[in-house]
Amino acid sequence: MVTGKISEGAEAVIYETEVLDIPAVVKDRIKKEYRIAKLDDEIRRARTKKEARILALASSKGVNVPRVLLVEEHRLYLTKLDGGTLNVLKPSKKAFGDAGRMLAKLHNINVSHGDYTPANLLLDKSGRLWIIDFGLAEITNSVEEKALDILLMKRSVGKAEYRDFAEAYAKGSDRSEGILERLGEIERRGRYQTRTLLTG
Amino acid sequence: MVVLGIESSAHTFGVGVSENGKILSNEKVMYPIGAGGIIPAKAADFHAENANQIIKSALAKAGLTMGDITGVGYTRGPGLGPCLRIGQLTAKTIAAKYSIPIMPVNHALGHIEVARLAVGFKDPIVLYVSGGNSQILGFTEEKFKHYHIYGETFDIGIGNMLDSFAREAKLNPAWGSSVAKLAENGKYFDMPYTVKGMDFTFTGLLTNAVKCLADHDPKDVAFSLQETGFAMVCEAAERALLLTKKREILLSGGVAQSKRLSEMMNLIAKAHSFRMYNAPNEYNADNGAMIAVVAEKMLDAGMQKPIEKCDINQKYRVDSAEVRW
Ligand SMILES: Nc1ncnc2c1ncn2[C@@H]1O[C@H](COP(=O)(O)OP(=O)(O)O)[C@@H](O)[C@H]1O
Ligand SMILES: [Mg+2]
Repeated sequence: MVTGKISEGAEAVIYETEVLDIPAVVKDRIKKEYRIAKLDDEIRRARTKKEARILALASSKGVNVPRVLLVEEHRLYLTKLDGGTLNVLKPSKKAFGDAGRMLAKLHNINVSHGDYTPANLLLDKSGRLWIIDFGLAEITNSVEEKALDILLMKRSVGKAEYRDFAEAYAKGSDRSEGILERLGEIERRGRYQTRTLLTG
Repeated sequence: MVVLGIESSAHTFGVGVSENGKILSNEKVMYPIGAGGIIPAKAADFHAENANQIIKSALAKAGLTMGDITGVGYTRGPGLGPCLRIGQLTAKTIAAKYSIPIMPVNHALGHIEVARLAVGFKDPIVLYVSGGNSQILGFTEEKFKHYHIYGETFDIGIGNMLDSFAREAKLNPAWGSSVAKLAENGKYFDMPYTVKGMDFTFTGLLTNAVKCLADHDPKDVAFSLQETGFAMVCEAAERALLLTKKREILLSGGVAQSKRLSEMMNLIAKAHSFRMYNAPNEYNADNGAMIAVVAEKMLDAGMQKPIEKCDINQKYRVDSAEVRW
């Protein structure tokens, strides 16, 4: 039985439900009117499938993520977490240390997240932090992909939060040196391209 | 205050006049771009030849003379060195001759602020899409008030992608608009779609589209390229909106002239009940009025620069430009 909508992200709407008496949520990757139907369907299917697969992997390796209960074409049924995401809660600094430690753990099992921002970290009532939203995740040992996860967090939080995050990450990661070095390289790459035929 | 703004970062030489935030005139000429693209030194010569005339007509349209002008602004960057140089020298000459303050302006900030001030948005997420740049921006007060870059292209700008494709498809050098025309009635087929968080890349998409020209109907390729590229930047912008909880969207820059992109952003706004604004094309294309508007804000905020410090910077990033107002 699906009841009310409890939340909304950039891709999905989250409803409350139960699966075999377990409090659960449905993550419904809704149709986006701005994309043409074929592309939209492709993206929603592929990401739902990928998210289910990587959540199962992360779960099995002891990373704090919701468990997958059921998988449909555009929908996932996940165990329900009680709390709020870090972009809304404006939590204590400890949470960002946890975020760094948890990203290290995820990278250590060769998963990159692809959208590691405060919007995808959920702090529950007991103070435990959970990683959610694995639609852009990859199973990879690429240093670049891992460095990009850190870069994204860096651009999404303040200086103090980032410091705690990065410190904890460095401590927890098996390959933090190489990854942080790559982060520096990415940041130094001049991304501004000289405009040739410009349109504005 | 009456401020004259000069834009010359690429193929357009534009002059605008603004008085207390109101745009009185906006005149321009464009260096004609052939199939080979823009040759910076030639465009600069073209700007130098036209500078006087365009300034005169901007003043005439505004019903003013040079003596009425109380400040002058120019595009400091980003852009092509030789072209920027002409605007800079013109502005410096005016500032010295009439003893008026001079303000170096960031080009992207010009596009963004002329739109934001017109619609009265307080704290938008900006999708800035131009030739060389494609960025997701939003205000931050960290250190100084400026547009923070939440996400951006890791390789080429979306405008350059469309331009390059247009050249490969032997279209008229009218950039994005000729791709849009070709794409009419096209059918969609799969193309590489690359979004990472709020960042994206376009070279994979471009390479694929060019390759497909060999064995697909060009209009289907153009359509699929455009749909995919636009969907990518839209998704990144949507993520930034949900992350920051901001509720206003500003679409700005040369590629913002695309009707399809504007329609897509409008659909995102509608789905979340956000407000969305896209300025008239006149301000998304390169123009002098946007430089005048920002220069006037800078003057009002005490941000004029000593004339000997008025340089150009081809890589002047929008996140290092202070928005003190
Ligand atoms: N397992 C869960 N339990 C409780 N709330 C959740 C759960 N998963 C997601 N949410 C809520 O739904 C929101 C959107 O989910 P998310 O997976 O991030 O989707 P999106 O891809 O749309 O960002 C989250 O910000 C969070 O508030
Ligand atoms: Mg999310």
